[in-house]
Amino acid sequence: NTILCFLRSFECSQKNAVLVPVAALGVGGMLVYWLRSRHKIETMEMGNGWWGSGERRLKGKEDESIRPFKIVTSDKEIEDLHRRLDQARYTPHVEGAAFHYGFNSSYLQKVVAYWRNQFDWHKQVEVLNKYPHFHTTIEGIDIHFIHVKPSYVPHGRAVQPLLMVHGWPGSFYEFYKIIPLLTEPARHNLNEGDVVFEVICPSIPGYGFSEAPHQPGFDSVATARIFHKLMNRLGFKEYYLQGGDWGSRVTTNMAQMLPQSVRGLHLNVVFVNKQGFGRLISIMLGAYVPWLVGLSREDARRIYPFMQKNVYDILRESGYLHLQATKPDTAGCGLNDSPVGLAAYILEKFSTWTDKSFLNKDDGGLESKYSLDELLTNVMIYWVTSSIVSSMRYYKENFSKDPNLNAHSSVHVPTGIAAFPQEILHTPRTWAKDVYKNIITYTYMPRGGHFAAFEEPKLLAQDIMQFVRKVEQL
Amino acid sequence: NRLGSPEFSSLAGIMLLEVFLVLGTVIIYFLFSKKKEETLPFKEGWWGKGQKPDTEEDTTIRPFKVETTEEELSDLFRRLDQARFTEPLENSCFHYGINSVYLKKVVSYWKNQFNWKKQVEILNKYPQFKTKIQGIDIHFVHVKPPRLPEGQSAKPLLMVHGWPGSFYEFYKIIPLLTDPASHGLSDEHIFEVICPSIPGYGFSEAPHKKDFDSVSAASVFYELMLRLGFSEFYAQGGDWGWLICTNLAQIAPNHMRGLHLNLVSVTKVGFSQVLSVLLGRCFPGLFGFQEEDVRRMFPFLEKGFYRILMESGYFHIQATKPDTVGCGLNDSPVGLAAYILEKFSSWADVEFQNLEDGGVERKFNLDDLLTNVMIYWVSGCIVSSMRFYKENLKKGIGTQKHEKLTVQVPTGIASFPNEIMHTPQAWAQKKYTNIVSFNFMPRGGHFAALEEPELLAKDILQFVGKVEKE
Repeated sequence: NTILCFLRSFECSQKNAVLVPVAALGVGGMLVYWLRSRHKIETMEMGNGWWGSGERRLKGKEDESIRPFKIVTSDKEIEDLHRRLDQARYTPHVEGAAFHYGFNSSYLQKVVAYWRNQFDWHKQVEVLNKYPHFHTTIEGIDIHFIHVKPSYVPHGRAVQPLLMVHGWPGSFYEFYKIIPLLTEPARHNLNEGDVVFEVICPSIPGYGFSEAPHQPGFDSVATARIFHKLMNRLGFKEYYLQGGDWGSRVTTNMAQMLPQSVRGLHLNVVFVNKQGFGRLISIMLGAYVPWLVGLSREDARRIYPFMQKNVYDILRESGYLHLQATKPDTAGCGLNDSPVGLAAYILEKFSTWTDKSFLNKDDGGLESKYSLDELLTNVMIYWVTSSIVSSMRYYKENFSKDPNLNAHSSVHVPTGIAAFPQEILHTPRTWAKDVYKNIITYTYMPRGGHFAAFEEPKLLAQDIMQFVRKVEQL
Repeated sequence: NRLGSPEFSSLAGIMLLEVFLVLGTVIIYFLFSKKKEETLPFKEGWWGKGQKPDTEEDTTIRPFKVETTEEELSDLFRRLDQARFTEPLENSCFHYGINSVYLKKVVSYWKNQFNWKKQVEILNKYPQFKTKIQGIDIHFVHVKPPRLPEGQSAKPLLMVHGWPGSFYEFYKIIPLLTDPASHGLSDEHIFEVICPSIPGYGFSEAPHKKDFDSVSAASVFYELMLRLGFSEFYAQGGDWGWLICTNLAQIAPNHMRGLHLNLVSVTKVGFSQVLSVLLGRCFPGLFGFQEEDVRRMFPFLEKGFYRILMESGYFHIQATKPDTVGCGLNDSPVGLAAYILEKFSSWADVEFQNLEDGGVERKFNLDDLLTNVMIYWVSGCIVSSMRFYKENLKKGIGTQKHEKLTVQVPTGIASFPNEIMHTPQAWAQKKYTNIVSFNFMPRGGHFAALEEPELLAKDILQFVGKVEKE
């Protein structure tokens, strides 16, 4: 109409001289708005990258082969470790320190004695090799991953591909207990419907057996892109994602980047930006009238008292993050040279992030939830691959680009959230909705902390399965 | 009529007078109570192992010499030989922390050229002692002037180091203060210098109990000075030394003739400071800022806020988990050197992080740097040195009593341009109410005594000159 009017305007009266531009502006405005709102649902840019050393060889295609890999060790490696354990120098802790000053050195000596005399790395390597490992080169670096297919698929059941991403200071090994529950649920009395998975657990570049990037700038977005390429190379067009810690951020980026490939996203940690005046008001009101601001009773129980749990506790626990996000090469140097120092640094997190009350224990409560064999196997992965420094650089690369860890755009793929009670930060469903627009399930888990897959594999597996079942029914 | 009657008016007059008197007293009391000089109480403590024994403490002062053994050296070399390095990212210089390519060069020097036996002799050239105070052995250097002109007496000067420094940082400045004439400086004032090691650092025993903070250290050093027979003394400090000497001035103002600082930190942030940050660039005069203050502080986001954020990771982790972060450093000399030497790069000049070698050897020589690292290594004190951060910060910043009290002792401040953050005189005088001298130094950074001993010595001398005149 406007266009027709405009065409006729040459003959129209002066009144139209005002109406026409106004109408044009109106249409123009709507057009702009429509374009911009389309931009809001637009996916994150995939981009491209190259992380190998030196100059990128532009000629010739990248080697896309998938090579089987087995972890190996040698007597020399173990002897070197033992020598370093034997020469370790400890500092007596102050009286009554427990775990308040960090890892208790008296308990550390006990752990090292076990490590030196009872821990059997040859045996643990066999345990690690029980699942098939592979290497493949993507964007110039070797990506390590394990790929576990179900040995038996019941008739008529579809096998869902599931990519599970670890965090720091964890590794692919964290998933070893949960993998059988997901690939063979029936065998473990987990008949939560018709869901069976084939599981792919890669190592983030710079962690474990994945090559470390040689160029600066390798962040979670680059990781997300590489993992999409990996799944593509393995022949998957659509898949599920699961993650906690850095894995949560990587899988979220994956869902933002290529939503059409992500059937569902399951997280056991949710990072949302809590800034904004409205959020501040809701936090203050929530202490008294949680229901008014969309907080459940359990939410209120977990996030209040706010200053204590969200500010002081975080300040107390984030020293490592601050240091690694600014001077990773300095922080990791001694840890790559002293296995005892490495163990203290890593295992402190397995204590405090599993249960905050473990700070008061002389032994950090470590062995109440984990065995020394599994804890030390994870530490050994960092030790034998010398990956502690590159694992820390990930913090600097991610935080220097985006200090608030803001999601670049929202997530529209079906999302499931498992909220564990002892997680460092609790994110209520109402806050998660800021980023995750399509939350299918949100579960308050009865127990467990940060290392969910490691500590409570059955609980996590059940939640993943009931989430996937709901998504498949959609 | 009743209101106008003489009895009523005189009654009203009396009542009004009473009200005014009360008000006046309240106002006067309020004004004066603000000016009331409150001292910080001396902190008693006992830091030894187990229970405090009933017997009287041994107060003898025993001579001490640093020693080394073949075993110590061969153990060190073995660890240096087996060091595992991680390749740096391409073109990262010192942006990710210390560059391991440069670190390898340092380690090679350490193994092949650095002579620890020779350095031990250098350390021992000044007389050192140990004495037990509050249950722990306190190590200190005590250097008397080699000669004194007729009629002059040596002024006692306590100099306190910080982290990751040690008493060794003062070895270049000591001769300028004990024997100024031989170094081309005026000998109007000559000092006998006492450099203790903070408990938990170097050869001072580490406290075995919790809560050994800067006030505890100040109390211990106060006892030390009294034990050495000094009833009046000067104190000088930077880094932790700044805080300990400040606390000492608050505990014993009548014993301290003067306080000289090369670092001043503001921990009680007030509204006026926030305002001065927001508007100080446009209206410097309004907030008492000089031109040089503005040049050093602004843009504040970059030079103040962002710089502190980038440089305080170590501070954050040491103030929360010292035993964890120090563990590996006490076991790997290369890790220890990396951690400590990085500070001698970034705290000497913020631009040094853009250099492949961190500019470390532009301001210091490797022998001095490695001697300092060796003090931490041979004494195994890195963890206890880090605990000092937690003990001072675990109750919060700006909440401690000593942070709320002012300092009335005559104060001199030497403000070095490459210090991590610049504190203008306008802010310093809120706490240090009797600033006698405040000078912008032409060059130098955080480790002033080691980097620019002559500049610092001259500033101390002119400060003392001013104090003695008054």
